[in-house]
Amino acid sequence: MSRGSRAAAAVVAAAALALTACAPSAPEGEGSGDGGATGSGVGPLVVATTTDVVNFNPLIGNSRTDSWVTDLMYPRLLHINEDGEKEAALATDWGYSDDLTGYFEIRDDMSWSDGEPITAEDVAWTLQSVLDDQPAGTLLGQMGAVESVEAVSDTRVELHLSEPDAVVVPEVGFWAVVVPQHVFEPEGSLADFANDAPQADGSWVSAGPYALTEVQRGQSYTMERVEDYPLADDGAPNASEVVFRVYPDVNTELLALESGEVDLVANALPPSQVERLQSADGIEVAEVPGLGYAHLVYNMDEPRLAQVDVRRALAAAVDYDTIREVVLQGQAVSAGSNPLIPVLSQFAPEDAEEYAFDPQAARDLMASAGVDDTSFRLLYNLTDPVMAQAAQLMEEQAAEAGITLELDGRERNAYLAATDAGDYDVYLGNFAIMDDPVTNFRLSYLPGGVINYTHVDDPDLTALVEEAGRQLEVADQVPVMQEAAEIVKDQVYDNIMYTQNLYIAHSDEWSGFVVQPSELLSVVNPVSLANATTAG
Amino acid sequence: MPALASFTLRRLARGLVTVWFAVTVTFLLLRLLPGDPALAIASPTMTEETRAAVLERYGLADPLVVQYGRYLLALVQGDLGTSFTQGQPVSSVLLERLPWTLLLTGAALVVTVLVGIPLGVLAAARAGSGLDRLVQGLGVTGQSLFVPSVGVLLLYVLGLQLGWFPIGGAYDRDVYGGEWYLSVLRHLALPALSLALVQLGAYVITLRSTLIEALGEDYCALARAGGIPYRRVLWKHALRNALLPTTTLVGLQLGFLVGGAVLTETVYAYPGVGRGIYEAVTQLDFPVLQGAFVLLAVTVVVANLLTDLVYGLLDPRVRT
Repeated sequence: MSRGSRAAAAVVAAAALALTACAPSAPEGEGSGDGGATGSGVGPLVVATTTDVVNFNPLIGNSRTDSWVTDLMYPRLLHINEDGEKEAALATDWGYSDDLTGYFEIRDDMSWSDGEPITAEDVAWTLQSVLDDQPAGTLLGQMGAVESVEAVSDTRVELHLSEPDAVVVPEVGFWAVVVPQHVFEPEGSLADFANDAPQADGSWVSAGPYALTEVQRGQSYTMERVEDYPLADDGAPNASEVVFRVYPDVNTELLALESGEVDLVANALPPSQVERLQSADGIEVAEVPGLGYAHLVYNMDEPRLAQVDVRRALAAAVDYDTIREVVLQGQAVSAGSNPLIPVLSQFAPEDAEEYAFDPQAARDLMASAGVDDTSFRLLYNLTDPVMAQAAQLMEEQAAEAGITLELDGRERNAYLAATDAGDYDVYLGNFAIMDDPVTNFRLSYLPGGVINYTHVDDPDLTALVEEAGRQLEVADQVPVMQEAAEIVKDQVYDNIMYTQNLYIAHSDEWSGFVVQPSELLSVVNPVSLANATTAG
Repeated sequence: MPALASFTLRRLARGLVTVWFAVTVTFLLLRLLPGDPALAIASPTMTEETRAAVLERYGLADPLVVQYGRYLLALVQGDLGTSFTQGQPVSSVLLERLPWTLLLTGAALVVTVLVGIPLGVLAAARAGSGLDRLVQGLGVTGQSLFVPSVGVLLLYVLGLQLGWFPIGGAYDRDVYGGEWYLSVLRHLALPALSLALVQLGAYVITLRSTLIEALGEDYCALARAGGIPYRRVLWKHALRNALLPTTTLVGLQLGFLVGGAVLTETVYAYPGVGRGIYEAVTQLDFPVLQGAFVLLAVTVVVANLLTDLVYGLLDPRVRT
């Protein structure tokens, strides 16, 4: 053996020795470390995910892949149905008792896995701690009008507001994930608690359909079914276990599905794979409505783009149909260039017409605006193949209208930073979840809104959005929001191109999944995975 | 001071400077990356106050020189910092993954050397023949292969179509004891083969050319003139000398191997340091990235140091 191979063999031997520390021990016996979980049921259901769980504390971070696991551990107050309407989950009733008080009434039949009941105190403590400790997550941004939270009975929580706000209750209900006060409170600040170690019995105290019992970082996360989950159709989950296996590469994920090593791929399929898998043996593809949109935004700090005719010209220089057909292979629906997207059926206008692709009109509008320099820099996320391909098509289409789009594709983090800094002329991007129109408009189009990237400041629009925020009934919000949306569309403050339909692939041996909109919820939401079964 | 001790000290000092240089460049490069770690850690819809709090919490609000000084001070105390995203010490994040990377790269090296040496010898012994040209062609082709493409191809053919190997991961669930080790070997086979395939060419071509050179040396001609069989001259005389540059190549290739491991571990869902780097890049997790690069720099420097020392022992001319 040469010196080189001796050295390599030594490395292998050292690694093998170190691996003995990684070798799992055989379980001691049934029932150990199961945190109230039970081994019966069908399956296991093996779900492919793309990354490890970063935070087991569901109130930190904004990772979709984390949520797939933590949503099975910690209950949300509200869910959302296929029509984009909020519906009961842990909360059975919600609303406002007066202009400055919101409330949630919660179920009285759910318990944490250690036997402690879930009470309004858990909910109030979770929400108040988010206000106090300000963990870096999505929920805090939805709580702007909330001054304090208190439990007024075992099942009722009240939110005290600084001003009337019609959307804060449903938004908090949708984004809030409730954690056990008796576990989290002793750990100090909610913002610093990683929640990455199990209790003494080897599991995490949780209240979802499955209890997390084993973590093998880089490999898998094993969750065992619990006896009692009232949100499931049969009052308990069907699968004996849900096992999340980590595949960073989507090609490997799909090979694992086709080989039968996994039963469900949690992330949406790339558009190019949908048709192939729809006809593949042993695989079914579920269609999931998107809850967001892809859009173009024009930087109005740039003098040329401050003119509405220039923005209209740019909007007329894109062939939206072609982009949906070529890039997304028809897997998208037009939003009629309206920010009230079709999935939000209560709000979306039925007759919204999309900006027409009209190169000559684009030329005329550009000329009438007196703009000679028709070159604009288009910023997009280079690592998103859909966006990258769409940008290239847009470049060609704009050229027909005499407009030059200089493509500025960047890596995701660089793209986000450039977006945040307003470093673009035209921005091509997407939002994954826009579940509430009033909230979306506040964030996107009101002065100071955290994603008002174009610095929209239109007094009429602002007045309408504020008025909608004071309407406690959705039916009263609708006409106001439709009027506001017309301003956005007419002034081209935002150019909504489409909502992408999502496709989730799973083994045809499994059925019973419950679809909820968006890739965050899709068929991996807790109710869906509790109802999934192999029993026909 | 004896020549060997002086030589060792010089190499050691050079290694330390190299590590410091790598640490500093890594620190600065990560901060020059266009991107905002607060956006990766928290939410794009966070308020300015939340963003400021995030930057403050992770020490990113301080001037660069302060961050650098604090980092170096912690580093010499063996503290690699805490992961932004996981909230765990970087050392434990990396140590959890290191055995898998060592196993993968070590196995790939063993395969490379065990296959590469006979191929290189065969090509050199039949220099100019069709077989030699075939081996050279394969060597050059192997060097130009892209690891992820090789990985997906092997997974598709040997994993999905033939079902001989599992699709990704490092071992099966619910297996214990000896069965677990067998499972580890089954999962190791394809990623190690992928890595070996893409680096094999360098070994074969290097060994072939140094061996042809050695076979033309006087001592080989003398040995053959003295009646020693060609096979013995080839394997016992020429190969021993030709292996010296190959030993150096093992050290040099380690850096390449580790680079290849990032892609290989990602395609094969293998839970090593390379995949940790991939994930840390997407999450802008500076401490994990810094820690991983320090670990890799130290590994490569130590490997090269050992190679230099072995070379110094074998060839006294190198010590001067």
